[in-house]
Amino acid sequence: MADGRATRPVTVVTGFLGSGKTTLLGRVLSEPSMSNTAVLVNEFGEVGLDHHLLRRVDERAVLLGNGCVCCTTREDLTEALLELLDLDQRGEIPRLDRVVVETTGLADPAPILHTIFADPVLQHHFSVDLVLTTVDAVNGNLHLDRNLESVKQIAAADKVIVTKTDAAEPDSVRGLLSRLGAINPSARVFEAAFGETDVDELFRPGGAGSHAVPAPAAGEPHDVGETHSVSLTFDGSVDWTAFGIWLSMLLHARGEDVLRVKGFLDVGEMGPVVVNGVQHTIHPPEHLDRWPDEDHRSRIVFITKGIRPEELLGSLEAFRGVFGARPLPLGAGQGVPSS
Amino acid sequence: MCVLCGQDFVAQVHWTDRHLEDRARAAAPGSDPVAPQGDRRRDRAHRVVLTNEILRHYGLKLDDWGGSKYVLRDRKGRSEIVQDLGSLWPAAERLVGRTLDPLEPALRETLVGEPAFAPADGG
Repeated sequence: MADGRATRPVTVVTGFLGSGKTTLLGRVLSEPSMSNTAVLVNEFGEVGLDHHLLRRVDERAVLLGNGCVCCTTREDLTEALLELLDLDQRGEIPRLDRVVVETTGLADPAPILHTIFADPVLQHHFSVDLVLTTVDAVNGNLHLDRNLESVKQIAAADKVIVTKTDAAEPDSVRGLLSRLGAINPSARVFEAAFGETDVDELFRPGGAGSHAVPAPAAGEPHDVGETHSVSLTFDGSVDWTAFGIWLSMLLHARGEDVLRVKGFLDVGEMGPVVVNGVQHTIHPPEHLDRWPDEDHRSRIVFITKGIRPEELLGSLEAFRGVFGARPLPLGAGQGVPSS
Repeated sequence: MCVLCGQDFVAQVHWTDRHLEDRARAAAPGSDPVAPQGDRRRDRAHRVVLTNEILRHYGLKLDDWGGSKYVLRDRKGRSEIVQDLGSLWPAAERLVGRTLDPLEPALRETLVGEPAFAPADGG
């Protein structure tokens, strides 16, 4: 910003151990359009990455006083990003177009977002435009059954890439795809056999940046074990101040259980407010000048752990006097006018 | 901490205050420099009114303090100074002695005078 341009996009690539993050990155980095992309990785894996702006960072997390894991600051990441910023601003590297941060398989992506949003310098120079999560079609179901981290990674994703579809049974791939849709209805899902995928499509911040909120799958609230997701709208414009009060209160009380909140909120202005949060960490809300499509209704997806959809809807319903609008679950038979 | 006014240096704008800052920054050069201040004050006053509707359930009250901070008080006369909504809820928790949870059924009764978990009628 100080050097007269918008913030540099940071893409977080996450995914379980062996789910093909590095293979995907190797494929992506070979594209000419990605040459001015810096890559921060936790470990140099067996699949060697060859790239001139590759940096290794050792995960060093500083736990803050309240002990909440998603509000930790990754010091290593802060240092690496500051160094890149310095090189970029001094003109010692070609103009930095993008930074890709690859997490370790077990990592929760929330601290990465928190680190960038909370740092007094980084927040003005970098923005997180996408969280990409890789899932391995062969072992994906197993990981989702056994590891909450894996579910959190799916919930945090803007785009999910299902890898190794060539090695898995078509039936199990279909089952996995529907499960992914149930956990995170707001994420776009791509398939990548042999690490092949459309790089432009993957890194194109769909439509309006990270704000692309695909129409949630019509249907009732989805429950996957302890993880629930619910898509909802409101019957009118919502008071943004009131929504901020409700959401900040919810995140304080139950932030660790709110795996994701994402969507557009109609606040009675020309365009919507983009709401995007992962656990306690909320992206700086963006007030758009206009709606990205014809549908001018609020559309919000909540992915929670242990909070039932009816509890959330009940709470929003209780706040209706403060919001100035009532919540309506989005889905079949709910009488939401379709435009 | 500023030694003159005793206020903390605020390096981090809470996400709920972000729109005010963005609007002030986006103001065209030459536009009325006082306008964002007016916006800000109106917004703060509005926030205090709305927040108090929630806080009355817990016997707390919020006031704007000089246009830069808020003061949170309970009925015993204890008070806390808070910067934004991010620090309001932990402070409220300290005064009340428990977490303020918007999902709590009893809060619904205070807000809308209805028993908890009445099924939403969908419109």
